Amino acid sequence: MVNLTIDGKEVKVSKTATIYEAAKEAGVHIPVLCYAKKLLPYGACRVCLVEVEQMKGRLIPSCTTPVTEGMVVTTMTDEIRKVRKTVLEFLLVNHVVECPVCDKGGECDLQDLSYEYEVVSNRFEGEKFDLPTDEINPLIERNMNRCVLCGKCVRVCDEVVGYGSYSFINRGFETKIATAFDRGLNCEFCGQCVSMCPVGAILPRPFKFKARPWQLKEVNSVCGYCGNGCTVTLGTKDNEVQTIRFNDKTGVNDGNLCIRGRFGYSYVNSDKRLTSPLIRKDGDLVEASWEEALRRITDEFRAAGSASGFISGARLTNEEFFLLKNLAKAVGTGNLDHSGGECYKGLTEGLQETLGIKASTATFPQGEKADAILAIRTDFYETHPVFGMVVNQAVRRNEAQLTVIGDKQGKLTRMPHARTLLHKPGLEVNVINAICHVLLDDGLVKTEGLEGLDTFKKALADYSPDAVAAATGVDADAIKQTAKELATAENAAILLAYGLPYTANSKALGLAAANLSLLIGAAGRSGSGLYLCGEKSNSQGAIDLQVLPSEGALGVAEMLSSAAEGKLNALYVVGEDMLVSYPGKTLVEKALDKTGFVVVQDLFLSETARKADVVLPAASFAEKNGTFTNAERRIQRLHAAITSPGEAKTDFAIFQALLSGFGESAPATETEAFTKLAAETAGYEMVSLDMIGDQGYVWGSDILAPETRNLVAVEGGTQLDARFQLVTGSALYHSGTTSLHAKGPMAVVSEPYIEFGREDAAELKVVEGDTVKLKAAGGEIVAKAKVDRRLPKGVLFAPYHFATLGLNRIYSGQTAIAVDVSK
Amino acid sequence: MTETAQQETVEEIDLTAANQVLDKYQDMHGALMPVLQEIQDHYGYIPEETVHLTAERLNVYASQIYGVLTFYAQFHLEPRGKYIVRVCMGTACHVKGAGRIGETLQDRLGIGHAETTDDIKFTAEYVACIGACGMAPVIMVNDATYGSMTVQKMDEVIEKYKAMD
Repeated sequence: MVNLTIDGKEVKVSKTATIYEAAKEAGVHIPVLCYAKKLLPYGACRVCLVEVEQMKGRLIPSCTTPVTEGMVVTTMTDEIRKVRKTVLEFLLVNHVVECPVCDKGGECDLQDLSYEYEVVSNRFEGEKFDLPTDEINPLIERNMNRCVLCGKCVRVCDEVVGYGSYSFINRGFETKIATAFDRGLNCEFCGQCVSMCPVGAILPRPFKFKARPWQLKEVNSVCGYCGNGCTVTLGTKDNEVQTIRFNDKTGVNDGNLCIRGRFGYSYVNSDKRLTSPLIRKDGDLVEASWEEALRRITDEFRAAGSASGFISGARLTNEEFFLLKNLAKAVGTGNLDHSGGECYKGLTEGLQETLGIKASTATFPQGEKADAILAIRTDFYETHPVFGMVVNQAVRRNEAQLTVIGDKQGKLTRMPHARTLLHKPGLEVNVINAICHVLLDDGLVKTEGLEGLDTFKKALADYSPDAVAAATGVDADAIKQTAKELATAENAAILLAYGLPYTANSKALGLAAANLSLLIGAAGRSGSGLYLCGEKSNSQGAIDLQVLPSEGALGVAEMLSSAAEGKLNALYVVGEDMLVSYPGKTLVEKALDKTGFVVVQDLFLSETARKADVVLPAASFAEKNGTFTNAERRIQRLHAAITSPGEAKTDFAIFQALLSGFGESAPATETEAFTKLAAETAGYEMVSLDMIGDQGYVWGSDILAPETRNLVAVEGGTQLDARFQLVTGSALYHSGTTSLHAKGPMAVVSEPYIEFGREDAAELKVVEGDTVKLKAAGGEIVAKAKVDRRLPKGVLFAPYHFATLGLNRIYSGQTAIAVDVSK
Repeated sequence: MTETAQQETVEEIDLTAANQVLDKYQDMHGALMPVLQEIQDHYGYIPEETVHLTAERLNVYASQIYGVLTFYAQFHLEPRGKYIVRVCMGTACHVKGAGRIGETLQDRLGIGHAETTDDIKFTAEYVACIGACGMAPVIMVNDATYGSMTVQKMDEVIEKYKAMD
């Protein structure tokens, strides 16, 4: 710690603090333009100049100067005021003053400072910028005439996002911020630059001319897309979400968001939302009253009893899951499941059998401290982009060694010094086994306290690095090197995401990841972690609350096959478009056709809803109160920001009504429901709503210690023998099927595609935009080709989100699909 | 920025030489400048495709490379003529009529400062001083210096290089 004096106040701060940070801690205001908490000190704008007694003769930039013992700082004198004003005058020489029509007006740092320093006239004159505005993309508008060259956009895109869209180009007066070759922006569109820009140079286009900042009501909630659980501050007006506001004070994401979080909110306001219950009459779905719809459901499910089933998505709140479970119980069935069933088995079976827990062992912020990171599948960035940014910071700022086990390249593999263990599809487990083999064979790890070591060792005999190298195409030395790094790392992190497009080998992968984490001691050790992250916003909550089949009852897969055989009389589907996103479309189709009575509860009239007998209009995350539990066990609160369109109700209200139809009492409010669910949910027993603060509440504490330490031998995969193999997964811009109703993600990726590597594309003479046909055992899919540098020879990729692609006609949960390609 | 600029296609060029340069510097830290210089030595300018290749192989953002390329005057993003005609515009040359020399070049070849003829044979460059004031007005064509220039002598020089390959 260092002692210093700022404006006469004695301050004690960390020796790594800057003068600016010390002043902030002491409650002394110093103006800044180019400073941002999450970025490295830069010192570009000179607005934060202060006087330091020990450094007389010149003014000192407080944001880049570290504190020293005994420093005496003055933050405001006549001279400082004069110099700051001059700096502002310089900035305003070529800045185009368009405040009346600038969307930043009212929250612009330059505007506020000019006001504070009374810059009413300018002693300097010069040419104003007259640069064209980048309006090519529909999401981010760049008006460089308003730029003050603080470099925040350049830095955030590099330091946090790791994409590197921007750079300073040219020199001297001509300097400006631009992309490579000064073209329009074409990037991830996460909008971090929008959130960082202190002036109106980079703006969210969907928000243009929608509202002045002070007209917006701000409500903190949790993003409804993925399991990252980012805080989104909704800016609402006229009962519509108008924009997402920057907020780096609440939640786990430090103000960072991806395209889905920042630009994907618009599905909430969509005019395609369901606004009234629908009942099938004479073959058509027609509007009906809630009373009639609910009565129909109660009658049918009462009659069906145990021959009924409930399938839920993983975007309901914990409170809603709790009521859903009670509803299934009231109906008298244990046939209850979520998210396609198979995909979460890495947690419920894999981690359960090894570590005795069903959740990630550490929190996301701890990931930044890791010095060795192993990502299983490069898709982790696509499914959980904001934790991906934490990984980027660990790699770039703290020089963590990142290794990726993947069947393709991606954002993660392109991070500095990242090592890619590129294998043939479906062979992740083989590579993990080989790493375990090296760890044990070379005696790199301590094995005290590990159960099942002997059997495990024996089973690994076939997975020597050389054998696995020969089978998978991964370099044996790279496997050895990775093992060594993981064993010697002080803090190691293992990353694996699960979700609907990753059903194959889900249990085996969970087991393998857990084995590895046990060997290197990553599970339960402070600073290290095994992150097994669910795809959706409340995937973890669904596991915690056991939205799972009860003993002897049917899970999703069995429910669907049972229904397809006509053995289920009633099926209740909540927040899932199974026909689009579940593996095996034919089976789902048959199940829906053969089941006597189908209820679908959703925001939109999805493909699945079109087949239902009753459709109930539900509410989006922006209309709900309740809690989500994210992929690091953080319970966070949602706050309703707007009311639902038409007669749509929250899933909570719908289940409440149904429960009372069954003569059961239901909790009157979400608050009451939380108290009840906490009492009967493992890990939640001691949690109450008022313990969930701005940063949420992590159940099981920051480090969740394993209950058991069992090594469980797991067999590797086998390679598919086919010239072309199609793999599926998540695309960065989308999450599940909901984002297809959101303008932001659709503006960037509006239609399905089939991705080719360059080598295959050249060989097949396929160019970007060609229509290609893939023929597989179950049928064929047709889409436009995309050519990129991610895929190795022989591997093709298609995202799973799009109804129009019909991928699940040929995808039924396999690791890779043998396909024939034709144009 | 217009739609057409956005969709500008990258011309196909042989990347072998650029790859060879990159092979040499692949593992060297901070090798961007020499890589770009050597690529320019070979191609005469920095073709866009080599920027993307360099970005990919050195793991540097293309935007960053573009920043470097536009910062230094030594790099050229457009193909340059086989003959670089440097017209000195320094004080001595200016007084002795360098303006007329530049105008002649503009008139005969249709190129002004930093412009290149369509056949990529000549590039004009107006430079501040080439340190040969005694020979003012002076020009250079690649490494050859021509002093005491007049409009007539300028014509002769142009014709001489036009006749060459």
